[in-house]
Amino acid sequence: MLKFILRRVGASVLVLLGASVLMYILVINSGDPLADFRESNDPRAAAQMRSRIAAMGLENPWYERYWDWLKGVGGCFTGQCDLGNSVNGTSVLALTEQAAGSTLRLVTLATLLAIVLGVGLGILTAIRQYSAFDYTVTFGAFLFFALPVFWAAVLLKEFGAIRYNNWIAEGQYAPGTILVIAAVLALALAGLLGGSRRRRLLTGAATFVFVAAVMFVFNMIDWYRNPSFGLVMVVLTSAGAAVLVTALVSGLKNRKALYASLTTVAVGAVIYLVLAIAGVLAEPTWLLLAGLFVLALAISVGIGYFMGGYAKKQVMMITGITGTITSLMVVVDQLIAHWASFLGLKSRPISTIGAETPQFGGGFWESALDKGAQLLLPTLLLALISVATHSRYTRASMLEVMGQDYVRTARSKGLSEREVIVKHAFRNALIPITTIVAFDFAALIGGAVITERVFGWKGMGQLFQQGLNATDPNPVMAFFLVTGVAAVTMNLLADIAYASLDPRIRR
Amino acid sequence: MTTLDITSPGPQATPGDAVLSFEDLTVTFGTDFGDVHAVKGITLDVRPGEVVALVGESGSGKSVTSMTALGLLPGNARVGGTVRVGDKDVSKLDGKGLRQMRGNDVAMVFQEPMTALNPVLTIGDQLTEGLQLHGIAFGKQAEARAAELLRMVGIPEPERRLKQFPHELSGGQRQRVVIAMAIACDPKVIIADEPTTALDVTVQADILDLLRSLKEKLNTGILLITHNMGVVADMADRVAVMLKGDIVEMGTVEQVLNNPRHEYTRRLLAAVPRLGVTSAAPLVEDHTEELPALDLRNLVIEYHRLGKPAFRAVDDVSFQVGPGEIVGLVGESGSGKSTIGKCALGLIPAHSGSVSILGQDLTKLRGKELKALRKRIGVVFQDPSASMNPRLPVGEVIAEPMVVHKIGDDRSRRRRVLELLDAVELPRSFYNRYPHELSGGQRQRVSVARALTLEPELLVADEPTSALDVSVQASVLKMFTNLQERYRFACLFVSHDLAVVDMLAHRVVVLQNGEIVEQGLREDVLHNPREEYTRRLLAAAPVPEPVEQRRRREERHALLLELGDEIAELHVEDGYERPGVDLPKGHNPYTTIDGPGV
Amino acid sequence: MSDIRNTAPHGEDFEPVPGAQSIDVQGGVGAGHLPPEPLPTEDKSYSQTQLVWRRFLRHRAAMISCAVIVLIVLVAYSSIGVGPIPGWWDKTYLATYDKIGTGSPTLTHPFGQDAIGKDYFAMTMRGTQHSLFIALGIGVLSTILGTLVGALAGYFRGWVDSVLMRMTDVFIVIPLLVIAAVLGKMASSWGIWGLTLILGAVTWTGLARLVRGEVLSLREREFVMAAQAVGTSASRIIVKHILPNAVGVIIVNATLAISSAILLETALSFLGYGVQSPDTSLGLLISQNQNAFATRPWLFWWPGLLILTIALCVNFIGDGLRDAFDPRQTRKD
Repeated sequence: MLKFILRRVGASVLVLLGASVLMYILVINSGDPLADFRESNDPRAAAQMRSRIAAMGLENPWYERYWDWLKGVGGCFTGQCDLGNSVNGTSVLALTEQAAGSTLRLVTLATLLAIVLGVGLGILTAIRQYSAFDYTVTFGAFLFFALPVFWAAVLLKEFGAIRYNNWIAEGQYAPGTILVIAAVLALALAGLLGGSRRRRLLTGAATFVFVAAVMFVFNMIDWYRNPSFGLVMVVLTSAGAAVLVTALVSGLKNRKALYASLTTVAVGAVIYLVLAIAGVLAEPTWLLLAGLFVLALAISVGIGYFMGGYAKKQVMMITGITGTITSLMVVVDQLIAHWASFLGLKSRPISTIGAETPQFGGGFWESALDKGAQLLLPTLLLALISVATHSRYTRASMLEVMGQDYVRTARSKGLSEREVIVKHAFRNALIPITTIVAFDFAALIGGAVITERVFGWKGMGQLFQQGLNATDPNPVMAFFLVTGVAAVTMNLLADIAYASLDPRIRR
Repeated sequence: MTTLDITSPGPQATPGDAVLSFEDLTVTFGTDFGDVHAVKGITLDVRPGEVVALVGESGSGKSVTSMTALGLLPGNARVGGTVRVGDKDVSKLDGKGLRQMRGNDVAMVFQEPMTALNPVLTIGDQLTEGLQLHGIAFGKQAEARAAELLRMVGIPEPERRLKQFPHELSGGQRQRVVIAMAIACDPKVIIADEPTTALDVTVQADILDLLRSLKEKLNTGILLITHNMGVVADMADRVAVMLKGDIVEMGTVEQVLNNPRHEYTRRLLAAVPRLGVTSAAPLVEDHTEELPALDLRNLVIEYHRLGKPAFRAVDDVSFQVGPGEIVGLVGESGSGKSTIGKCALGLIPAHSGSVSILGQDLTKLRGKELKALRKRIGVVFQDPSASMNPRLPVGEVIAEPMVVHKIGDDRSRRRRVLELLDAVELPRSFYNRYPHELSGGQRQRVSVARALTLEPELLVADEPTSALDVSVQASVLKMFTNLQERYRFACLFVSHDLAVVDMLAHRVVVLQNGEIVEQGLREDVLHNPREEYTRRLLAAAPVPEPVEQRRRREERHALLLELGDEIAELHVEDGYERPGVDLPKGHNPYTTIDGPGV
Repeated sequence: MSDIRNTAPHGEDFEPVPGAQSIDVQGGVGAGHLPPEPLPTEDKSYSQTQLVWRRFLRHRAAMISCAVIVLIVLVAYSSIGVGPIPGWWDKTYLATYDKIGTGSPTLTHPFGQDAIGKDYFAMTMRGTQHSLFIALGIGVLSTILGTLVGALAGYFRGWVDSVLMRMTDVFIVIPLLVIAAVLGKMASSWGIWGLTLILGAVTWTGLARLVRGEVLSLREREFVMAAQAVGTSASRIIVKHILPNAVGVIIVNATLAISSAILLETALSFLGYGVQSPDTSLGLLISQNQNAFATRPWLFWWPGLLILTIALCVNFIGDGLRDAFDPRQTRKD
């Protein structure tokens, strides 16, 4: 296994090196770095031109310039990174440090979102093949394939940010809007859950009534501007999730699993209560939150271990997932509780420019909300296209697997459809998807360049564009370095995932 | 089918004690091209401790019939009539009831052990899930029970095997695992759908022994679906012959195999190649003064794999094929027989040794000379679905060698193709048809025609009939022998089927693990074998005659004992408690988790 | 659309033609008699291409998409004409006209006018022409290159394969938009021909991998071995036996390549590395008018909807072709 990974890393490094040579040659030949001086009538232009020629080493042949750059990059392994200077003389390393954070955050988040949504939708559409739900998602996927990112970005900016900001000043839904939203949700859920005509009708009606009622109540208590969630809702939603996870992974007939996951929720709620009374969560740090999450995970898995019964491993997985969801709900509760004060600080919450609001004064939760609100639209946009790809591939892969002989064997043992899908089909269907996810990552980076530009982020995309416009190789190569290493890392993760999913290629 | 000719089974039984019964079963598939009637009203039952064989060729509806017993047909199938498993009416069961029945009352053994097991789950996982699902054992107990099951079906070191994945097991072992899975919940009846078709003949004999001991020791009823009459003779108590969705004949195995009444059964049985029965092949003429058509000397072939030592597929093999002579190359899968065939065609390089064809060393030829030599060799491959370019019509397929070697013009090529179509007994109208419109047997005829286009002096035939139904195989083989007598080409005939080789080969070479075990005249090798391996092979091949087959089986067991081997059987110890017996009816496995669970 | 194969319980890989009524095609037994097996069908034969075509014609979404694409192409080229040939639309994309009101769509200017009064319909049509031309060019070029590289690597394996595939990897590790931007900047002065050529030169990698995979599996098929055994030359095997059987993969991916090329061209023009002003393309039009969304929304909607429609239709055609070539995925059960 280690040998396999090392070989892959070695090959990737070589490919990366080759690509960097190609990239360097292309960039320095893409234009004239002295164009601005040539057009200038300034008497000092000639002198400035000479100094730029010296600074950029333009008189040297390309391989010497490339070698200088490579030496600087090689320094990164000895702690003396040098990515060169940009045309203006600023250190590219410093620029990269600023830019890489926001871009990688964007791309990683979008990738995760795309995987979860895409794979989930793919499986649901495969199970409900040729249903209205399947056709809707399929059409949606085709639409997103065909959507120009920048065009969608402008639309999203208009409807997701500007109009929302206008609306939140009031924070009330019109009755008509409520009915439409409720109807859409009712149709979607009824289509998704399927069943007989009568059952679908019941599902739809219940959903419609519930959603409409909740939204009218929210209007009355001004929930959208002054929302609260509270411990009760945390417990209710987590318990709901616990039942769902158990039903999916082991089936509700396994009472031990159900009790274990519900216990996890109960323990989580008690801990939350204690933490809230102690005031630990009022002004936490990211490190503290991470520590608490690890603790929560350990406790949940522990519960699974002790209450698991004969299917220990399975129950540990269930309680682990339940614990994660409960922790998330706690965070959501805190964020919602701080929404009102956040609105007080920033009356137009979703901005369309920049990665964070400069000189934002709020506490930990308020600034988390601020960052989240900034990240929301670009991430959504970037994820949408990948969701389309992933869902199509997952669907195809799932359908392929469902026709295999071993699925028939599993059915002939008397397994239910849930067990057949979760235990036998899903893992096999995931194997080809790992490769697609890694492959798609490069496309996401390309998409990030556009997204960053539309949303005015000072990220790697801007670094790349400014460098390219000035025919300045150093910033462009820094962009390439960061994204290339990220892509190679992603590929490596995919390889490891592949090997862990498929015992046939483990060595 | 117009006539339904059912001979009544010997001992009359009340329908109540059957573990599996089909009554007037019909299955119809709705497709875009109209309804397709796959099963047209058949009646059949299986009693405890009885093996009923359902025999028929591809498309006769026998597998569809078996799938109705588990309720596992695709959504576009409509089932009529009644199917009962024990006292349950399958068509009246809902989803939950069906699932409780599957595995518990009726289990399935599938044809292809390579794909029947989930590649990403351990053997243990796949064995225990059925046990836990049907509430037979949980956790550690389930694992212990799984290990016991593996031991029962004769897999050594069962505890270690539980942690392994399917790809780490051989084909025969996988089929044993599938059987272990099938008997895990002690079903009343097992449906075995071509359980040995994908296996080598010696492994097949073992698996059949195992299945036989299953009915003897556990009193399980078995519905055996097969196209192989030898397997029927070896296993079955009663036989039902299916043709185009109808049962045309039914009776005890002796009745049906020894005194077939229906025309179709008679033809089917006549088509089965038998060892030592047909010796129609003419005697070899003396060709010693002529150059051999194919001369292999100390041939070694290796496969190179990345990061692993080279795998020696063929090791030091020498034999010759004289002009006009058919040499049968026999062996089990992995013996290297196909590799030798491909090497003789120059498709795989030899690691060392020499391959001479018609006096020229194939390994030393290049360019034009090689092409000229290739003109004198023909080839027929195994897989009828892959042996022809699906984009070319039959006429072009057959004419292709003439085009490549620039022989003749369009008119003469067309004439030659029509001649060849006549020779392989296909209508001339096939000239413009595409491969996908042809059946397997027709495609193999076209393959033979293509191989003969240039009147080769040497023909390499790699299992040309093993993918065909037995009656089709018989007609293709007959045509092949006629053509050989007419064109007098030398032939290297690669096959795993000893009876087929016995039908047409002059000499036989037996391979095992890439080495020659025995070679000589057909009469010597196949009728008076000297080597132990050849004897095993011959003993394992079943013949379609029940009494004779019983004698052969006992002989084989004696041979195995003599050679110090074990006879495959179910290892049931005295303390073996039949699972599920003490559990009350309608018992929900999950309510008693606290009992056996912790 | 269903295929009878999926319901056939057993046996041979036999693809029926419409009209074939029974699944037990191979029931005839008589040894040596003529005909030994019944004919699968008595009516005329269909080649694989004809079967694919029939399946494609039955794919409704693909058919509608074809019609829409044809309509767009006709309108785009006939309205403002090509080069010196004038079209039926009396306004040009370069001239400035008197502004009617705010420039919102009117009968004289159905797509409205831009800030300085140019006819937006003419501009959009000009943009559509360019976008379509570039996309088709890139699609054709990348398909040829990808097929060539993939076929050579897959058929010859060994060092040819290693060299070609490492080369492909080098192109794949650089995000497509990035290398396209760099090349687009170099080529932008060469006009749309240059842009098409240079983008076609970097978009073949995905197809090369797919074709290689397909060829690797096809070359192990017995009919290829049979051809080799007869002494058929490598070029004839590739052209006559392998590529015709990989044509499904190639055609489907060529359509998808065209649809992604449309998006690539518009994205590049949006970033400023594609088609340069005063000439125009759909991406450039959006780029120039993205801030006009609140004031002159029509400037934003028309080119965007056109890109969306074209790309969507091409995708649906690709989907229809995929279903036609590979009916396994579209079973009904």
